[in-house]
Amino acid sequence: MAKRKSGTTVGRKPSRSPSGRPPAAAPKGNRAQRRRAVRAGYRGRPRWLPWVSVGVVAVAAVGIVVAGLVHKTKPASRSAAAPASVTRAVQNVPASVQERVGVPSGLSAPIRIAGDHPPLLSGKLPQVLYVGAEFCPFCAAERWAMAVALSRFGSFKGLGVTESSTSDVYPGTKTLTFFGSKYTSPYIVFTPVETTTNQRKGGAYVPLQTPTAAEQRIVNEFDVAPYTSQSGGIPFIDFGNKVLVTGPTYSPQVLQGLTWQQIAARLSDPTSTVAQNVDGSANLLTAAICDATNGRPSSVCDSPVIHAARARFTSPG
Amino acid sequence: MHHRPVIQRICLGLSLAGLVVAGYLTVAHYTSPSLLVCSDRGMIDCAQVTSSPQSTVAGIPVAVLGVLFFLGMSFLNLSPMWRSQSMAIKGLRLGLVWVGICFVLWLMYAELFLVHAICLYCSLVHVITFLLFVLVLFNNGEPKRASTPADASLRRA
Repeated sequence: MAKRKSGTTVGRKPSRSPSGRPPAAAPKGNRAQRRRAVRAGYRGRPRWLPWVSVGVVAVAAVGIVVAGLVHKTKPASRSAAAPASVTRAVQNVPASVQERVGVPSGLSAPIRIAGDHPPLLSGKLPQVLYVGAEFCPFCAAERWAMAVALSRFGSFKGLGVTESSTSDVYPGTKTLTFFGSKYTSPYIVFTPVETTTNQRKGGAYVPLQTPTAAEQRIVNEFDVAPYTSQSGGIPFIDFGNKVLVTGPTYSPQVLQGLTWQQIAARLSDPTSTVAQNVDGSANLLTAAICDATNGRPSSVCDSPVIHAARARFTSPG
Repeated sequence: MHHRPVIQRICLGLSLAGLVVAGYLTVAHYTSPSLLVCSDRGMIDCAQVTSSPQSTVAGIPVAVLGVLFFLGMSFLNLSPMWRSQSMAIKGLRLGLVWVGICFVLWLMYAELFLVHAICLYCSLVHVITFLLFVLVLFNNGEPKRASTPADASLRRA
């Protein structure tokens, strides 16, 4: 088959008409002239159009990238990275303090998942799924305890500080945010999902992260009765599909009026109300993580206080 | 017809490569974002992008839309599809790459301005889509019009 310079092809080899004469409608002139004339009618698209199209798209793409790199503003919720003193205090609560605090009465204990469910894994490691929101004061309280508990199994990078909504109960509770943070551990994978910021826009909090389909299935399965009286409530924490937390372990009232630095400093004072609640909750959450990891590491999970915390777990209903 | 077979094969290869990457992102979406082998330093953070509100459109994960796009492009870049002079096929191929590139521009905006993170796999998909866009734009040709006397003359010339 013949190929034309323009890139389109002709169905068969050139040949003369049966009559041996050119058809009446054909342009006069030599073959090249006729081809140009036909091409002009055949091709409705200007030849420069692809170049312009690619140019426009390329300029738009480069513009977006350049403007995006210049415009590095984070979402409004993320006021600042956590001060080093706060991060250090959260991740280094002495074991002696944890043991002395124990599990005070008045804390809400995690719930064992009833029946047989496949373990929640990420790769080969048990997964801890946290679903919360930055506006939520109960999540604000729970994050301190979560951060303390998780720090016994691994370490955080990039923790931020924020506060709960100023127009909700326990307004402006100072807290950490898991959004944008990284947690690494040889024992577990921690998957935090902060669904919204603490900023309102058009009557609703600004979305931040969306649970994946798999994560949403877990929420739909376990963040309902008999595990909670408030379906879909937050905070929701699934420890490897073995243990759940479906609400606050302690009251955000404990943190009212305190700055991040004040809260962090009191974590290592076992006599403080903050330590009693945050570290006590962290002991319960640590025991829940130990259930997910099947007791690994033993240096954490074989502690008497963790055994005592595990004994506090409740059954659904 | 041997219409630029090398470019056609490149288009098919790019479509299949895009299908693989989009498939990987889809699997990660339906299992765990932590499955993505991806740096989490600085702005590079695949999990943050794939778990953002912008990772779904009308409830459909963007990764799934990517799979559908590259499935369509793979089909339209098969050799018989390139040989076809059908207006529908040429138009569909051209329309699909335009939809794809416009969606890529939106996703780039979303990553940089809304999520504040970049997903390397998504960026790879963006580059593949851009290359497909360029190749198709320059090689798709025009849909064949109804035969005219001039066409007949050309065929006889």
